[in-house]
Amino acid sequence: MKKLVVLFLALSLLLSMTAFGVAAEGKVELSLWHYFGTDYEYSDGSIFQKDIDNFNAMQDKVHITYEFVAREDLLRQYQMGAMSGELPDIGMVDNPDMASYIQMGVFADITDQLNAWGQLDQFFPGPLSSCTQDGRIYGLPHNSNCLCLFYDVDMLEAAGQKVPETWSELREVAKALTDPSVGRYGLAISAVKNEEGTFQFMPWFISAGGKLEELNGQGCVEALTFLNDLILDGSMPKDIVNFSQGDCNNQFISGNVAMQVNGPWNVASVKELAPDKNWAVALVPRADNGVHASVLGGENFGITTACKDVDAAFEFLKYLMSKEVSADFCEVAGKFSPRADSTASKDIWVVDPIFSVFADNMQYAMPRGPHPRWPEISTAISVAEHEVFLGAKDAQTALNDAAATVKSILGK
Amino acid sequence: MQKLLMRKRDQLTGLVFVLPAILYMLVLMVYPLVYNFILSFRNLTVMNFKNNAAVFIGFENYLNIFRDKDFQQALLQTLWFTLACITVQFSIGFVLAVFFNAKFHLAKPVRGMMLVAWMMPISVTGLLFKYMFLTEGGVINELLKVFGLMFGSPPGWLIDPKLAMWAVIITNCWIGIPFNMLLLTTGMSNISADIYESAAIDGCTVFQKFFLITVPMLKASILSVLMLGFIYTFKVFDLIFMMTKGGPLNATEVVSTYSYRQSFTLFNFSVGSASAIILFVCLMTVGVFYLRMIQKDEAM
Repeated sequence: MKKLVVLFLALSLLLSMTAFGVAAEGKVELSLWHYFGTDYEYSDGSIFQKDIDNFNAMQDKVHITYEFVAREDLLRQYQMGAMSGELPDIGMVDNPDMASYIQMGVFADITDQLNAWGQLDQFFPGPLSSCTQDGRIYGLPHNSNCLCLFYDVDMLEAAGQKVPETWSELREVAKALTDPSVGRYGLAISAVKNEEGTFQFMPWFISAGGKLEELNGQGCVEALTFLNDLILDGSMPKDIVNFSQGDCNNQFISGNVAMQVNGPWNVASVKELAPDKNWAVALVPRADNGVHASVLGGENFGITTACKDVDAAFEFLKYLMSKEVSADFCEVAGKFSPRADSTASKDIWVVDPIFSVFADNMQYAMPRGPHPRWPEISTAISVAEHEVFLGAKDAQTALNDAAATVKSILGK
Repeated sequence: MQKLLMRKRDQLTGLVFVLPAILYMLVLMVYPLVYNFILSFRNLTVMNFKNNAAVFIGFENYLNIFRDKDFQQALLQTLWFTLACITVQFSIGFVLAVFFNAKFHLAKPVRGMMLVAWMMPISVTGLLFKYMFLTEGGVINELLKVFGLMFGSPPGWLIDPKLAMWAVIITNCWIGIPFNMLLLTTGMSNISADIYESAAIDGCTVFQKFFLITVPMLKASILSVLMLGFIYTFKVFDLIFMMTKGGPLNATEVVSTYSYRQSFTLFNFSVGSASAIILFVCLMTVGVFYLRMIQKDEAM
């Protein structure tokens, strides 16, 4: 028994010594969680981790330890952490989810630090709004993206079609590109029953003049009916109800679909995995009497309420979101910087044939929410989408039900 | 007096021995359960999470859940899933157990290999079957095509609400059959060969041997297989989450995925807790029933 006590004492001493060790070196140790993929050298996660390594090397006050946590796990960890207090010091969030976590008290209010920094006016209002609640700011947008139409140029030419700009053109082109004899569909979008499905529905919905407050209005019904018509035509596979955006991209790469709607983060993988493919991007076609529309995606970083040293963490955020670091990251990772001066500092978003289209499209990109109960709104939308695509309800009925749910949420 | 002290000491020693297990149970099982139980009587959501402003609302969560059509569907589907799986798993498992109980060459290694299906992580199995059940290019539809069993358009196993439940039942049976087989074979190997021998001398037919000797003597094994099977199947989560996430159109939603969706997607923490408690009560009932049966059996 005595030996055991001695052992415990020795162990706890050892542990406290390591703690002293860090303190002696004078570095504040902070942890960071992210879900950027690190599969390839050019993956956003690989570049992001290099940014952190640089930060650790260039100063001797703060040391950031990063950890990859799968997206779904990360979100669950925040919730449990909010109850138990076990949170990382700095965390990454998908922008439509940010409002819920602010509401739950996961992220610390850093409005005063941001105002003192004096660079807030460089951030675009759309992405920044997702970090804001009741006029207070709880984080910074790290990167932005939007959706475009990817198309196979050769397939389009072989079918004698030109790039579709409106829905009726899209319907014709998709029909012409569909070829059951080789198992090829004209178009694929992601309609999986989660946030990705809602994200992909937004461009159609906004273009037709749909409004969240009035989900069963004419615009939204038209959008859903139009997408369902593409399935009924046989131009879009019914399997899209289980397709994530990654699945769509794989189908596009393998040539099983001639066109897809997807984001700039997939550009690198198409180039890498289908080097011989002759492809390009265009704006998502607009409703015949509507305007072009897209949806704003991207991730935010916030300092959690469990952070040991908010000032030290803020030093890191300032570095991460400085003009140069943000511009370099977004250039290599194929994203858009939420900072106006970063965007202006590189010409890739002007000269690159793919990224210039995305850059042009960014002006049409609308944010989702922000609303603390966005997940419920989003679920209502993706459920309606499923009900229509799987033939359980017609568009008007499905959206009437969704509208009732959303009204009860927004009304509160 | 001396004796009494000794007994006290013995009891104390015994207590020290079980203390780690008791502590473990208290911290890792009783505490979360009690916490969850309390949570299910409050109205904790994303909106009142931060200030801890949730109040006790009695049985309101439970009443709302039972009124919720999605939950009713989930509960019925959980029962249907469990019954279908157990029936198929048990009958095929039994047949295989009888088969592998025959002493032929390679019986043991082949039986061992079949266990691979049961030992694989369920998430891996789920993902594999998700790809196998794809409408376009999935192995299962390709095989149906090759053998000329495809009538009309290819079945959308995971996207057709009428078929999706069958797809997950088939997958779950694939996992469960080896488990059933193993437990039943173990039971069978405990039946003495002498009994069969004397029955043969008395002129017993094969069927009589099976129904009058094997089945009655396997009663304990059969009971455990059915009860454990019920518990494992009723609380299914990972398989369905990997394959369909409860879709299409809630066609494969079960109580556990409903509870997960409420807590972790919609942030209705208390509703999620209440549905988890309902799941717990169902399993607890079966568990207690099982324990009593075993006790009776052992007393005999």
